[in-house]
Amino acid sequence: MFLNDFILRLRDYGVPASLTDAIDFYQGLEKGLAPDLESLFVFARLSFVRRVEHMDAYERAFAFHFLGIDLPRVAEGDPELFNTKQFREWLRQTIAKGDLPRQAIWTMRPEELMKRFWDTVREQMKAHHGGSRWIGTRGNSPFGHSGSARGGVRVFGKSGNRSALKVVGERKYVDYSDAASLRGENLRQALAMLKNLIPAGPRDQLDIDETIYESAKNGGEIDLVFKRSLLDRIEVVLLIDNGGYSMLPHVELTRLLFSKIKNRFRRASTYFFHNTVYGSVFRDPMRRQRLPTAELLRRNPDTRLLILGDAAMAPEELHLSRGAISWDAEDDEPSLTWLERLRERFAHSVWLNPVAKEEWRETYGYPTIEAVGRIFPMEDLTLGGIRRAVDLLNGL
Amino acid sequence: MEFQGSDKYYLDPELGAIVNIAMVMEKPLLLTGEAGTGKTQLALEISRTLGMDIEVLRCKSTIKGEESCYVQDTVLRLNDARFGTEATGRDVNEFFDYVIWGPIGRAFRSEKRVVLLLDEIDKTESDVQDNLLDVLEDCEFTIREVNRVVRAEKRPVIVITSNAKRELSDPFLRRCYCHHIAFPEPEAMREIVALHFQDLDQGLLDAALAIFYELRQRGYEKPPATSELLNWLGALQHERITPDRLNMPFVGTLLKRTEDLLAFRQGGKHSQIH
Repeated sequence: MFLNDFILRLRDYGVPASLTDAIDFYQGLEKGLAPDLESLFVFARLSFVRRVEHMDAYERAFAFHFLGIDLPRVAEGDPELFNTKQFREWLRQTIAKGDLPRQAIWTMRPEELMKRFWDTVREQMKAHHGGSRWIGTRGNSPFGHSGSARGGVRVFGKSGNRSALKVVGERKYVDYSDAASLRGENLRQALAMLKNLIPAGPRDQLDIDETIYESAKNGGEIDLVFKRSLLDRIEVVLLIDNGGYSMLPHVELTRLLFSKIKNRFRRASTYFFHNTVYGSVFRDPMRRQRLPTAELLRRNPDTRLLILGDAAMAPEELHLSRGAISWDAEDDEPSLTWLERLRERFAHSVWLNPVAKEEWRETYGYPTIEAVGRIFPMEDLTLGGIRRAVDLLNGL
Repeated sequence: MEFQGSDKYYLDPELGAIVNIAMVMEKPLLLTGEAGTGKTQLALEISRTLGMDIEVLRCKSTIKGEESCYVQDTVLRLNDARFGTEATGRDVNEFFDYVIWGPIGRAFRSEKRVVLLLDEIDKTESDVQDNLLDVLEDCEFTIREVNRVVRAEKRPVIVITSNAKRELSDPFLRRCYCHHIAFPEPEAMREIVALHFQDLDQGLLDAALAIFYELRQRGYEKPPATSELLNWLGALQHERITPDRLNMPFVGTLLKRTEDLLAFRQGGKHSQIH
């Protein structure tokens, strides 16, 4: 039952453990694959974790269930920590015990508070790995969860060297979780999924069906027929919003995406706009060389279109004729019309928003984000967001 | 049978446990991780130390899946049908005279238990992976032309590697045990190096490792990995040079991409000015 609870807990933590996994897992236990907690950690991970982005959740669930340590979702050094229930609970208990002054949250520097929190976590993890000290402080444990050994599972302090369990709490996998922000390597990996295979290149593959047909027609004299092989011929257009203050905090992310797309796709072209698209886009980041949007609309409809912008602006910029805030972009037609045309021409298109999805409703740009989101499917610039965007662009 | 590393290959204890679990549970083991973390090498070592033959499928984006089980040499058969088979011993009416077995076919037909390595599975199209799913799960495939089933008597030890160039589908992952090989920590790296170089100067190794791990931190497009380090150490040892930060010989063995090399040179210039 204790192990059943663990499997359910994995699901709570977002690890998609299935019934088949559970059956295989119990079969393995019967074969004696998990004689101690260390092996259980490795074996259960193999049985239930398939993607590296679930690894961190698994480690947290395991630490909670078997070690009684409640690790927060965030990595060390991330100020998001202050918003977690684990931190609030720790603060409450540490103050209650008198280890911190009541007004600590105002008087202490945030870095110092974070350090104190993580030191406590490390102290707890060490207590387990050392094996000498037992967490069973029953209720006094800083994270509230009772750490006593339930169901007869014992923590074995392995001789220490490179125990797999030891890495729990080091959070080696936190970067890979789906909510993680993008970095070079994971972005490259996500973009690699985007391709469009069409017959191209020299005719160098034997077409057996045609060969047999033609040979038969030829009275048995062999007539070899060749066809082209499938090659990736994808075309990508990237439109970047590089104007306005609202995009400033996202410059790094934008630059990263831009450079990766350039590297990944040979047939990629990039254009710039300010806040939203009107009758022309620009070839250069300074927005001096115009390209009429109408010309863009003549591109091959198979082209994958990525629009990168926060979609936050004054509503009239989107909805009104001559709504542009910069004089050089003034246009008789409202931007919304141009966006609709783009969407209509390019079925494989997506709007990428550097603002995290959870915040769309809260930012000042919500009305325009919503309006743009009705035209283009919108995703944010997390790893999960890019993956969904790539799925959309692949027509899945 | 238990796998325990070898004199040429440093086996992380955790990875060793995983290999043995996969062998007991008879599940394919999918290894992901950066290039140069020894994914492919692991399969070769399992085969070597346990004395099992190995069949290797090196995946390409063009494979369809079926040819990894078998192909029919149609051109040869057409040719034989047209010009006769007199001296060749083949019979045009005999389908199996024209079958060429692929790695999966050979592994399943083998009388002994073998290691089957599917290298860089992520290079294939996702529908190919889906086709291979059932083949690997049931350890059997059907020869369409003659409707004959080929089934493995001894389930092979299946190792699959992926560089994560592309995502693998969920059903595929569900059939496997998946393990992400993290890049070796400096102490583990010392053990790996020790397996390849017997009499390496300790000072040289310390200096080289420090620079190596610092380079990896700098966020290059293709960060140097184990094989680059080993090549670099080989070159350094041969030329009897101990590197330092201002004098970086053979940097081309560590950094392969042009942008990375250019970025490194610029970084180098800056540090000389300061």
